[in-house]
Amino acid sequence: MRQALVIGGGLHGLSTALHLARTPGWQVTLLERRHVGRHSSGVNAGGVRRLGRALPEIALSVVAAEMWHGIQALVGDDCGFRATGQVKVAESAADMARNEARVAEVRALGWRHEEVVDQAEVRRLLPAVSPHVVGAIVTRDDGSADPMRTVMAFRAAAERAGVTIREGIAVTGLARTAEGTIRVQTDQGDFEAERVANCAGAWAPDLAALAGETIPCGTKASMMIVTERLPAFVDPTVGATARALSFKQTASGTVVIGGGHQGRSDKAAETSTVLFGSLAHAARIAAEIFPCVAQARIVRSWTGTEARPPDDMPVIGESRTLPGLFHSFGFAGHGFQLSPAAGAAVAELMARGATNLPVAAFSQDRFAVPA
Amino acid sequence: MKVVVVGAGPAGIRAVEQLVRAGVTPTWIEESPDGGGRITQRPPAGFTRSAAALYGADAGRARRLHATLDAMKPRTDWRPDTLVWNIRPQDRVLHTQTDGAAQAEVPYDALILCTGAMDRVLPLPGWTLPGVTTLGGAQVALKAQGVGIGAKPILVGTGPLLWLTALQYAKAGAKPALVLDTTPFLTKAWQAAGMMWNAPTFLRGIGIMAALRLRGVPIAEDATPLAIEGVEGATALHWRDAAWKEHVTPCDAVALGWGLKPESQLADLAGVPFDYDALQHNWVPRRDAAGRAPVAGVYMAGDGAGIGGAEVAELSGARAALALLADAKLPSDAALTAHLDGRLRTEARFRAALERAFPYPAKLAARMEDSTPVCRCEVITAGELRAAAAADAPEMNRAKAFSRIGMGRCQGRLCGTPAAEVLASALGVTVAEVGRLRGQPPVKPIPLQQPAA
Ligand SMILES: Cc1cc2nc3c(=O)[nH]c(=O)nc-3n(C[C@H](O)[C@H](O)[C@H](O)COP(=O)(O)OP(=O)(O)OC[C@H]3O[C@@H](n4cnc5c(N)ncnc54)[C@H](O)[C@@H]3O)c2cc1C
Repeated sequence: MRQALVIGGGLHGLSTALHLARTPGWQVTLLERRHVGRHSSGVNAGGVRRLGRALPEIALSVVAAEMWHGIQALVGDDCGFRATGQVKVAESAADMARNEARVAEVRALGWRHEEVVDQAEVRRLLPAVSPHVVGAIVTRDDGSADPMRTVMAFRAAAERAGVTIREGIAVTGLARTAEGTIRVQTDQGDFEAERVANCAGAWAPDLAALAGETIPCGTKASMMIVTERLPAFVDPTVGATARALSFKQTASGTVVIGGGHQGRSDKAAETSTVLFGSLAHAARIAAEIFPCVAQARIVRSWTGTEARPPDDMPVIGESRTLPGLFHSFGFAGHGFQLSPAAGAAVAELMARGATNLPVAAFSQDRFAVPA
Repeated sequence: MKVVVVGAGPAGIRAVEQLVRAGVTPTWIEESPDGGGRITQRPPAGFTRSAAALYGADAGRARRLHATLDAMKPRTDWRPDTLVWNIRPQDRVLHTQTDGAAQAEVPYDALILCTGAMDRVLPLPGWTLPGVTTLGGAQVALKAQGVGIGAKPILVGTGPLLWLTALQYAKAGAKPALVLDTTPFLTKAWQAAGMMWNAPTFLRGIGIMAALRLRGVPIAEDATPLAIEGVEGATALHWRDAAWKEHVTPCDAVALGWGLKPESQLADLAGVPFDYDALQHNWVPRRDAAGRAPVAGVYMAGDGAGIGGAEVAELSGARAALALLADAKLPSDAALTAHLDGRLRTEARFRAALERAFPYPAKLAARMEDSTPVCRCEVITAGELRAAAAADAPEMNRAKAFSRIGMGRCQGRLCGTPAAEVLASALGVTVAEVGRLRGQPPVKPIPLQQPAA
């Protein structure tokens, strides 16, 4: 059996490990510093969204969407996935014009999932939306899933496929051996493998640096707020064209509000802090679009940390300094939906050195300074 | 130097007193409309019952505290009706909300947290019915609103507050239909020697029990509450006596409380580490005997720093302020410091005995039926928590992620203690090993729509 190591027990690490373990001939071990799902993957908004993706990301996102619709077959659990739709509301004529242009652009590439709808249709989809909303872009079979449940389903499936998951082990160094394999140093001794995946989330650029590779990345600390329970008033997940918003009512009635409003993260301490200013801003947008939440109270808030490349698109590809090491990080706040497909792509790259899945656009070469 | 004191109960009042004495003008923040804290909570203006009737044997203490409270307010930046809902320790900033709306950021160089305690509960079938409250809630209903929770309430739990509340109700004309103490009389008697470290308080406790018996209040010790019956509200308690015989006692309200736990979320957000205190059966923020946290500039006093009762709260409040002053190289009273240290040592012995006398019935929590809701806010049952344990949740925060326990309105303040017992017994480990829920802002719900800060 050929040995592979996956660093990071978030969804990308788990998905990569699962797909590779299902490839004949591979023995996969996953190393996670804390516990599986401790960071972004366990605390995200659960949005399963193709809507509004950057153009180079659409193809992978479409593959992922198909996988979400068959998620039960993939991991043996429905992950709480419900195709309740995603709606991005337009609040002005200018927003509508932007929406038309956007959807035209997406359709020109041959994709059909985004659709412009008028005021009557948006009101039908979102009866509680503010009257100033004039229309929307809709993807009807997008939806949302339960992040923690998804993590646990991927974990269980990976273990059934033969992956050894070791929690509480931190990777501290990466080096090439004389035999051409990779030595992975940890706080609990060395591991050796032919292929290694760097799925360490916010900390992945630091691991790349340990392998001698500089990949420009900032850190994102997206904030979420949750209200007390309210009577059911909205099914789809809602965003806005001109403002940062992600808005969803859960089955229990609580409303989860996000949209990339930033807290502050402390990468070394692995913590992040809610900032009042951005919290108030997120709340204001939510209440303007759904007036019925204006009187609600916030019961919880939290942040999750992730790496953010300059163009907000992930880094997927083999290391330029340490062959055999494969990066998959920098999902910049929208990697939950991509995880089934990205993991499949990275597993193929590791096993065969190539993949037909559309990830070529994510090579770190795009940041290389021209000579 | 910007000093902020959070809380205007006995600990906060005595802390502010020492600060003012040393020439410091603290910002003083209190969630309630007025100070006094829980034990000596002041009734609203125009309320006519006398201090003696309201506070009983505590009347003298209450009068003294209220006098200091009123004297100190004008000498501080007094902010009542103000909730501290977040702390950013890196920036030394508090987030506050006044009158349920106005937001502010309050900077500090030093902070004394005197945040008090809340009841510890043991969920029973039916405890989510209207008419079921905590012992603390029952006391507030009587003191601040002047109406009891019912005309024939049943009080269930253990600890001094159980007996005190029972007597207060009996005296106010709402004779309890039953006082059910889960602790056997012998356990309490056994600790009598230790309790002599605070003889007056101990003797008062004995006195209360005698007074209740005299008034004909039915008392059951070493008894087990089984379920609260009712449709629109609590109408009866099913319980089992020490001889294992089952009873049904009709009532119109139930109050529950098994001792107290520190309200320590702000200490948590300030970055103070916590230790498990096996005797108190609580997680307590780490501090030295003077109340200094291991986080620079943070001090703690009163029940929020570990349950000690009103007397200890006053002593530790003053002591923490003196520690702050000494650390800041400001004038502080050395003789008083030495005196307080001595008193606090003695009280600690009494407290230890008291905790042994009124233990949290961890076994009852662990044995809770699967269908019993542990979390009131989100209705999460003991069974769901056990399922989380089976799904590989080795500690509370993971159990939270799996089961949603502690995600509701109370953020686990109420359900955290029993949930830890259920989880620990399901996993076959100690309750210390399952840890505690990490604090998240806001510590209490705040309105979504906020005026700009
Ligand atoms: C608040 C929030 C809301 C979001 N909402 C959405 C959404 O609605 N839809 C969507 O598609 N995406 C969303 N995202 C993004 C999504 O959550 C992430 O893109 C995705 O979970 C990233 O997964 P990951 O496996 O790369 O990272 P992570 O889940 O962060 O996993 C990385 C893991 O690596 C481990 N690790 C790090 N360093 C080491 C080391 N040296 N040794 C060993 N292990 C290490 C960490 O402990 C961690 O467990 C959101 C993100 C956040 C923060």
